[in-house]
Amino acid sequence: MLLWIGIIVIILVVFFLLIYWGFYNKIIRTENRIDNSWAQIDVQLRRRADLIPNLMEAVKGYMKHEKEVLENVTKARSALMKAKTPQENIDADNMLTGALKSLFAVAENYPDLKANQNFLNLQDELTNTENKIAYSRQHYNDSVLVFNNTIETFPGMWFAKRMGRKTREMLQIPEASREIPKVKF
Amino acid sequence: MINMEKKLLVEDHIRKNKRLTIVVCTMMAFLFTAVVLAFGYIFFRNIYISLIFAIPIAIGYVFVTYSISVKSVIAAAKARPANPNIREEKLLIHRVEEMSIAAGLPMPKVYVQDSDNINAFATGKKPEEAIICTTTGALRKLNQEELEGVISHEMSHIKNYDILIATVTIGVVGAISLIAEIVFWSMFWGGGRNRGRGEGNAIMMVIAILLIILAPIFARLTYLAISRRREYLADSTGAYLTRNPEGLAKALEKIKADHPRGKPKGSKTVAPLYISNPFKSTSASSIWSTHPPLDERVRRLRSM
Repeated sequence: MLLWIGIIVIILVVFFLLIYWGFYNKIIRTENRIDNSWAQIDVQLRRRADLIPNLMEAVKGYMKHEKEVLENVTKARSALMKAKTPQENIDADNMLTGALKSLFAVAENYPDLKANQNFLNLQDELTNTENKIAYSRQHYNDSVLVFNNTIETFPGMWFAKRMGRKTREMLQIPEASREIPKVKF
Repeated sequence: MINMEKKLLVEDHIRKNKRLTIVVCTMMAFLFTAVVLAFGYIFFRNIYISLIFAIPIAIGYVFVTYSISVKSVIAAAKARPANPNIREEKLLIHRVEEMSIAAGLPMPKVYVQDSDNINAFATGKKPEEAIICTTTGALRKLNQEELEGVISHEMSHIKNYDILIATVTIGVVGAISLIAEIVFWSMFWGGGRNRGRGEGNAIMMVIAILLIILAPIFARLTYLAISRRREYLADSTGAYLTRNPEGLAKALEKIKADHPRGKPKGSKTVAPLYISNPFKSTSASSIWSTHPPLDERVRRLRSM
């Protein structure tokens, strides 16, 4: 009798340990995925900030009378350089996206500029980084959703508590940019 | 942004397609087992001995198709690496970079195939060494939104391990056909040997022989059903990656309306890897198709 109770207890303990193992790994894996997605966003934000001075150099000669448009881009770039938290970064990036959009719209009025190979190149590169940021953000939020679902549902919530994990925040997209399609070519 | 309700719908599409693939793959496994048992019955009157022969044949077949797949596909398509100095191909590389981020996969190698058709395919044994290839026709005729849709579809093939599923099913189909052929030829040459062993099991024998004859046909049909299923799955996964089903839908419409000059290139065995079958008229639907009809794919994308 005692032997049977012993066996059942051992089976239950092993069962519990296996479940704990699975959830421990899943929580760590999704957490790493979130951190990695953020690293991706960060890399692209830096790259974008680095491209701006080149763009300014390229358009300077053509767009002498568009002071305000150019200033807005510079302002947004320095906000991006100063940003610390993920949300601050994203807000500054959205500002930059808006400023660049008006710059490219204005550029339509300058046929010489539009034919400039260097400008065209920079435009492609900036579109590329912009799309990459949008998709990294999407992947970040997807990963956060998986993470939060894991640690808030049964039985993951027990293990998350033991491991001291709390839910993560998704990156918020401001109202203004929500109306336009996410990716523009 | 797609709202929550629509997003769930795309996820439901993905789940449904995955479930159906499992059903068809299970059928394939049953079919294979049945053929192996019939093989044993015909030859040895013992269904277990055949396992010793059939299992190595199947594993060997899958292993060989698997290990030569990537090189043979690239060679058959006469594809070359994309050149970042040509603007069209640079933009293609950009779209692939973006989709790999959206899918959370490593960056695949990008290839281009010189052809007037609008088409694309993905290959590679695992996501770490995947290849995405488009035709020059696709780069010229599709706009960037449509190209993004096509790339999202190919990226989904990589993400869903479709290349692996395709090679393994091709391998199993090949093994089934091979076993059927062995049985056929040995009965042809050694037909007299079995005579006089008693009539009691004649019915079993007929069933076993019928199975051997019909199995390759069923295996081929099952494989095609899997292929079509995976196309729908790649469409819905692609729409989930871009959150923009319209891009791929428009690209498929352009493929349908396109009338390319010249003959399609590449080998017929790799046809299932392409976004639309380069050898078939694109609107016909039949159980022999590698791909579902374009109209139906567009309709499903628009309903997401």
